[in-house]
Amino acid sequence: MSDLKETLKSQIIEQLSLEDITPADIQNDAPLFDESGLGLDSIDALEFIVLLETNYGIKISDPSRGKEIFHSIDTLAAFIENNK
Amino acid sequence: MENKVFLSYGAFISPLGSTVESNYESIFQGNSGVQQVIASGFKDENWFISKIDWLKENRYNNLLSTALEALTKTEHKSILASKKTRFIISSTKGNITALPLDVFASTRTIIKDLTGNQNIPIIISNACISGVTAINTAADYIRYSGIENVVIIGIDTVSDFITYGFQSLFALSDQPSQPFDAKRKGISLGEACGIIVATKNKPTDFSVEYLNGTSSNDANHISGPSRTGEGLYRVVKKSIEKSCIKNDAIDFISAHGTGTIYNDEMESIAFSRCALTTVSLNSLKGYFGHTLGAAGVIETIVCMLSLQHQQVFKSIGYEEKGTSEPLNVATETINKPLNIVLKTASGFGGGNAALLLKNVSCN
Amino acid sequence: MQLISSTYIAKAAIKKDGVIRHELTEDNWLKECYQKMELDYPKFHKMDNLSKMAFLSLELMKTSAVFDTIEDDTVELIFANTSASQHTDLKFIDSYQHQGNPSPSLFVYTLPNILTGELAIRNKWYGENTFFVASEFDASLFTERMHHSAQNGKKLCLCGWVESKLDEKNMPELEECFLFLVAVNKETSDLAQTNFASDLIDLYKNNQTK
Repeated sequence: MSDLKETLKSQIIEQLSLEDITPADIQNDAPLFDESGLGLDSIDALEFIVLLETNYGIKISDPSRGKEIFHSIDTLAAFIENNK
Repeated sequence: MENKVFLSYGAFISPLGSTVESNYESIFQGNSGVQQVIASGFKDENWFISKIDWLKENRYNNLLSTALEALTKTEHKSILASKKTRFIISSTKGNITALPLDVFASTRTIIKDLTGNQNIPIIISNACISGVTAINTAADYIRYSGIENVVIIGIDTVSDFITYGFQSLFALSDQPSQPFDAKRKGISLGEACGIIVATKNKPTDFSVEYLNGTSSNDANHISGPSRTGEGLYRVVKKSIEKSCIKNDAIDFISAHGTGTIYNDEMESIAFSRCALTTVSLNSLKGYFGHTLGAAGVIETIVCMLSLQHQQVFKSIGYEEKGTSEPLNVATETINKPLNIVLKTASGFGGGNAALLLKNVSCN
Repeated sequence: MQLISSTYIAKAAIKKDGVIRHELTEDNWLKECYQKMELDYPKFHKMDNLSKMAFLSLELMKTSAVFDTIEDDTVELIFANTSASQHTDLKFIDSYQHQGNPSPSLFVYTLPNILTGELAIRNKWYGENTFFVASEFDASLFTERMHHSAQNGKKLCLCGWVESKLDEKNMPELEECFLFLVAVNKETSDLAQTNFASDLIDLYKNNQTK
C-alpha cells in the first residue's frame, strides 16, 4: 500500500503540473484540496478522475464523489485498493 | 449623446431553419434542434446535441459560405464590398479541422471571395461572450471610427474536440439541457451561424436600435463562474447606466442560461443583485443548444424577433425553480409589449458581457 | 495615446522598456524566467504558454509606479495573436488521441482569452477584456480599440500580442509576448491613432531584434 501511495504522489505531481512540489512534501493524510494541503481546485479534481481511469482503469461517473475519494493520499489509495 | 446604431437581420442558419423567418416559425412552435447523437461522446456516449444535419464535409466552411450567400440576397448586398463596411467574426474555434494550420484562414478568404470586401475582418475569439462582444465592438466602430456598416457573424460548429472537452469537464447533460430548472444537469452543445448587420443609418427593412453594452471580468476563476455573479452584475449595471435608462425600463431578459448548476445559479444571483428578478426572462439554449461563438449573435437575432413580433418565447426545459434567487422564467410563448430587451452572456476566462436593444417605432 | 511602459519576452531575452532584464539559457525558458523573477504563484505552473507569457510580462511591468493607481476596473485588456490557442489545442487533441483520455486541465486553456482571465484573477481587475485573432501583428487594431476605449471613458489600456505557435512538426515556431500599457484620452485619442500605430510597429520590431 505504501508503494502505491508513493507512486500516486509522483503521478499527481506530474498530472497536475505541481512543479515546486516533491513527493516528500505531500503528507499521506493532508487534505489535498485544502490550503493547508496542496490547495487543489475543481479542475484538479477532474484531472484526478482522468488519472484514476487512465492509470488504474477505475471510472468515476459522478464528479461530486471526488471530495471523499480524493480527500487525501490515504483515502485515494484505499479507494484504489478497494476498486481494483 | 452617442450616434444611434441600428441592427437588422443578415442571416440565420441553425438546425431549426436556414432563414430568419423559418427559425422564427420553429421557435414560435416551440421546436428544439436538440437531438440525441449516437456515439458522439469519447466513449461513444449518446449526447444530446443540436446539429445541422445537412452539413457534411468541410462543415465550418460550408456553414459560413451558406450564411454569406444568404446575406448577399438581402437588402444589404449593396454595402458588402464598401470601404465603409467592416466584418466582425465571433467564433471560439473557427475551422478547427484546419489544425495545425490557421483555423481562421478560410474565414478571411471566404468573406473576401463572397462579398468583395477588402477590409481586414476583425476576428473575436473570447469564449462564449464573443458574440455579444462582437456586437458591442461593431457599435464602437460605427460610433467612433467612421464606419457605416458592420457585418457581424457569429459561428461555431460542433466537433469531437469540443464534445470531448466539455465531456472531460462533466459539463454535458445526459438529457436535453434544462436551463434554470431544478433538475438541470448541464449543457447540450449546438452549432449555428447568425449574421446581424449593424448600421449607422436606419435600414429600410425591420431593425432595432442598439443602445449600449460592455464586458467585465469576474477576476475569480478561469472556468468556474463567480459565486457572487460579480462580472455579470457589473455589465448589466454599466449597460443600463450607459444607455441612460432606468432599471424598470427593461421588459425582457435573454439570459445565457447554459443549464449547468453553477452558471444558472450565478445568473440568478447577479440578476437579483440588479433587482431584475421579476423581469420576464428566458434562455434559448433549449432551442439551439449552446452554440458558443455563435450564441451571442443568434440569440440577439431572437431578441430582435421578440421585439418585432412583440412576443416572449418560452424557456424550453424549465418546469421548476432551480436557483437560490427567484427568476421570472417564461413558461409559455405569449404576446407581450416589449420596448427594451437585455441580452447577457458569460464565458470561460471569467468573461461577462451584456447589451441593450430598443424597439424602433414606426418600422 | 501615451505609452507608459512595455515589456517583451521571448526565449532570447526578457526586456522591460527596451532594456534586457534577464537572459535565459534553458529549454523550459518560461519556468526559468519565473524562477529568475523570484515569483511565488504556484498556479503559474498549470497555465498554458500564452497565459504564462502574459503573466510574466505583466509581473515584469508592474515595477512601474503607475500600477499603484490601477485597481478594480481602471484598465481595459486588449489582446491578440495570429494562432489563437493552437499550441494547447494540439496538446489537448494529443491527450485524447494518444494519452488515453481528454484532459480537462488542457481543455480549459483551448481558448486564447483565458490569459486575460489569468491576469484579471492575479490582479483583481474587473474591467473590459477582448481577445482578437489577426493574420499578422496589426497595430491599427490596437489603436482603433484604444480609441474606442477612450471614447467609452477609459483612461488606461493594457494591450498584448501573445503568440505560442508550433510548426507542422510540432516544434515551437514562435513564442513571444509584447505587452504595452497605454494612457488614453477622450479628447485626443482619435487624432493620436495614426502616429501611435506607426510608433507601435517600430517598438514591436525593435524589441524583436536582440
